[in-house]
Amino acid sequence: MDKILRIDMGADGGPKASAVPMAQYAGFAGRALTSAIVSQEVPPLCHPLGAENKLIIAPGMLSGTTGAMSGRLSIGCKSPLTGGIKEANAGGQPSQVLARLGYSAIVLEGKPKDNNLYKIFINKDGVIIAADNSLKMLPNYDIVEKMKAEYGNKIACISIGPAGEMKMSAASIACTDMEMRPTRHAGRGGVGAVMGSKGVKVIVLDDTGMQMRPPKDPEKFREANKTFVEGLRKHPVTGQGLPAYGTNVLTNILNEVGGYPTYNFKQGRFDSASKISGETQAELEVKRGGVATHGCHRGCVIQCSGTYHDKDGHYLTKQPEYETVWAHGGNCGICDLDAIAMLDFLDDNYGLDTIEMGATIGVAMEAGLVKFGDAEAAINLVHEVGKGTHLGRILGNGAAFTGKAFGVERVPVVKGQAMPAYDPRAVQGVGVTYATSPMGADHTAGYAVAQNVLKVGGDVNPLKPEGQVELSRNLQIATAAIDSTGMCLFIAFAILDQPETFQALLDMLNAFYGLNLTADGVTELGKKVLSMERDFNARAGFTAQQDRLPRFFQTEPVAPHNVTFDVKDEDLDKVFNW
Amino acid sequence: MDCPDKTNSHANTLPRLDLTVENSLVPRFFLFLQEGVMLRTRVGCSVQVFLTEEIGASQDTIDKIQSIFLDGRPVDDLSAATIRDGSVLALSAAMPGLVGATLRRGGAYSSFRNGITYHEDSAHCASGEGFVQIKLFNLLMAELGPGLLKKGVYVRSSALMTFLSEQTPDFWQGCLRALLDGCAVGLQALPGNARVCCHDRLFLSVSSPDEKP
Repeated sequence: MDKILRIDMGADGGPKASAVPMAQYAGFAGRALTSAIVSQEVPPLCHPLGAENKLIIAPGMLSGTTGAMSGRLSIGCKSPLTGGIKEANAGGQPSQVLARLGYSAIVLEGKPKDNNLYKIFINKDGVIIAADNSLKMLPNYDIVEKMKAEYGNKIACISIGPAGEMKMSAASIACTDMEMRPTRHAGRGGVGAVMGSKGVKVIVLDDTGMQMRPPKDPEKFREANKTFVEGLRKHPVTGQGLPAYGTNVLTNILNEVGGYPTYNFKQGRFDSASKISGETQAELEVKRGGVATHGCHRGCVIQCSGTYHDKDGHYLTKQPEYETVWAHGGNCGICDLDAIAMLDFLDDNYGLDTIEMGATIGVAMEAGLVKFGDAEAAINLVHEVGKGTHLGRILGNGAAFTGKAFGVERVPVVKGQAMPAYDPRAVQGVGVTYATSPMGADHTAGYAVAQNVLKVGGDVNPLKPEGQVELSRNLQIATAAIDSTGMCLFIAFAILDQPETFQALLDMLNAFYGLNLTADGVTELGKKVLSMERDFNARAGFTAQQDRLPRFFQTEPVAPHNVTFDVKDEDLDKVFNW
Repeated sequence: MDCPDKTNSHANTLPRLDLTVENSLVPRFFLFLQEGVMLRTRVGCSVQVFLTEEIGASQDTIDKIQSIFLDGRPVDDLSAATIRDGSVLALSAAMPGLVGATLRRGGAYSSFRNGITYHEDSAHCASGEGFVQIKLFNLLMAELGPGLLKKGVYVRSSALMTFLSEQTPDFWQGCLRALLDGCAVGLQALPGNARVCCHDRLFLSVSSPDEKP
C-alpha cells in the first residue's frame, strides 16, 4: 500500500490510469485518506456530480493483513446528498483485496467525455479500463454474475446499481461479500451517484498471485492480534450478543425505552416491534435454513451477520441490519420480516442506502402517498426508484428532497441526510452527534472508544449536562480515528470496556508499521480528520446553522416519555472546541 | 397495564395450562418472553430483591443483565428502584452500539439519556402481592426463560393460540403432555376450547422431562 491509483475518466483519448506515490498523504489510510484528498483536491463549491469532484476508495491501515476485523473500505467524495464532505464505509472483500494489490486508494477523477459506461479490472499486472455498455442499468446482483462469468470466482467487486447510474442522491456503492454477493454497501451520502457521474459501473479486483501484507515485526503483530481477538471473543457484545442476533438485537431495547422512531418519528414505540426483533429474525433465519451467525469478510471474528431465506428456503438477502429493519420496519409501520428482507434485497440490488430509503418512504407515507404499514406499497415505491420513473426520481433523491416535493414538515434529516434509528429526543446525546457530525445525521459518527481510555480534552463528568457535548466530541474524534484504521467499528464495544483490547489494537498498528503510536496519537489523528472535514464544509458554505436538528424535535414531544430535544444551540456550537 | 386479575379469587378461575415438552422445544416459547408475560409476585421490593428472590437470578446472572428498564426507563441503581403492582420490567444483556452502551446501567454514557432515566419517586409503595409484567430480551431469554416458564406465567390466550397455529409437526411430536386445569387435553383442539376462549389470559407453565431438578 505505497501508491495511489489515479484514474482520470475524462482524459483525452479515454480514461487513463496511473499509479503515483503517496507523497503528502503518506501515513494516511481509510477515512483519513479519503477526507485528506477531498479536503485538499476537491473544490468545496464544485458540483458533486461534476468533473471537479473526486471519488476516493481507500482500504484501512491494516486491510490486506492477517489482522482480525481489518476489512472496512472507506469511500469519500463531496456528497450530492449533503453538499459537504462524505466518508461512507463498507465491509465485504474489496478492502482486503485492494490492499493486497498494493494500493492505498483508487481515485476516480474527471468525467467521461462520452456516454459510455466503464468497467475497471485491476490485478497484479495492472489496470484495464474498458467501455462495456452491456452493463447499463443492470442491478448489482446481475453485474456480479456477469463479472464472475468474465473474470472467475476469485474476484471482489465494487459496483453501482441503476440508482447510481441515474445519479440519485440515495445511491450506494456495493461491495461483494465472501459469497460474492453485493450485500455490503457504502450507503450514506449518495456516493453511488458520484461513481455513476464518473461513468464507472464496476471495479473488479483480483489479487491472485499477491501475498498478505507483511508486518515490520511479524512476531509482535501475531501476538497483538491474538490478544485483540481474545478481547473480542470474551466481551459479551462482540463475543455473544452480536454473533447470536446481529445488530437487530437493538430493536427490543430501543422500543422498550421509547427511543425507537415509529411512523416517521411520530412516536417512540412500535406495538409490533417484537415481530421484527433480532431475536425473532434469528429464529426465523435458522428455521428456514439460513444462518444467524456469519461474517461479512474474511478475518471477521464477531460474525454479526447472517443469511435470510424466503418462505421456500431460498436465499433472499443477507441478514438485514438493525438500521434497515427499523427504517423499512417500524419507521414505516411495517411488521413483516419477509417484506423488510425483500426491501433490503431491492435496496442492495438497485444500489440504494437502506436508511435513506426507509426514511424517504416514511416521509412519503406521511405525505399520504401510501399508507403506513402497507408493505406491498413500500416495495412498489422502491421498484419505482429502480425503474427511474418520475416518482422514483423524487424518492431516489432522499428524504429531504421527497419532503420538499410533497410538502411534508416532519422530515428527519440533518444536512440533508436521513436520521438513523435512534430518536434524539429520548437519547439526547446521540442527537448532539447527529446535529454536529460533518457527515450529516449519522449514528456511526460518534461511536467508538471510551473517553476514559482516550481522555480527549481531559476527564468528563458525564452527569453534568455539558457532559453530553463533551462526550459527543470525544466519541466523534475516536470514531474518525477508528474509521481510518479500516477496522470494523463494532470492535468499539470491546475497546470501550477493555483497555487491554484497545492496547492490543495499538500494538497491532505499531508492530505492523514500526510505529510508537499511543492513545494520544490516536486522538490527534481523529482531531486532524475532523478538522479537515469541518474545514471543507466551512469552505462549502456550511455554518453553525447546519449543525442543528430539525425544529420538530424541539417542539413535538415524543411518546411514551413525552420528551423533546433540549440541548441548547450554544452547547452544540461547542462540540468542536478543542 | 392490563393485569389478569386484581384479586386472588379471580386469578384462581383463569385457565391453567401445564405443558411438558422435549427440551429442544422450550426455546420456542421464548418469543412470549420478549413480548412480555405477567407474573403474580411480591411487590413493594427493590429490583435487586425482585430479581434475586422472585426470579431466582444468581449474582452472576444479574451481572449479565446490563440494561434494566422499569416502566420503559433505564435503571442505574437496582436497589433504589421499586417494583410496584402493575410495573413493567424489561431485562437485557449487553447491547451493541453507542446507544446500547448508553442504556447500560451506570454506564459512562448514561448522561446521553438523562431525560428518560428512571428516578424513584417518594410515593410510598406498600409491600404485598401484585402483578408485574416482565420482558426478557436476547441472551437472557435462554438464561432466565426456562425457569420462568417452568414456574408459570400469564400469557394472552389469543397469543398462545396464534403461537400454536404456527407450529410445525415436529412441535406436536415433541409435545409430551398437556394438562388444562389438571385434565389431559389435545393441544390442537385448544383454540376451540370454551374454557380458554372465554378468558383473555391463561396461566401457562412449560417444563421438560430432561430438566435437572
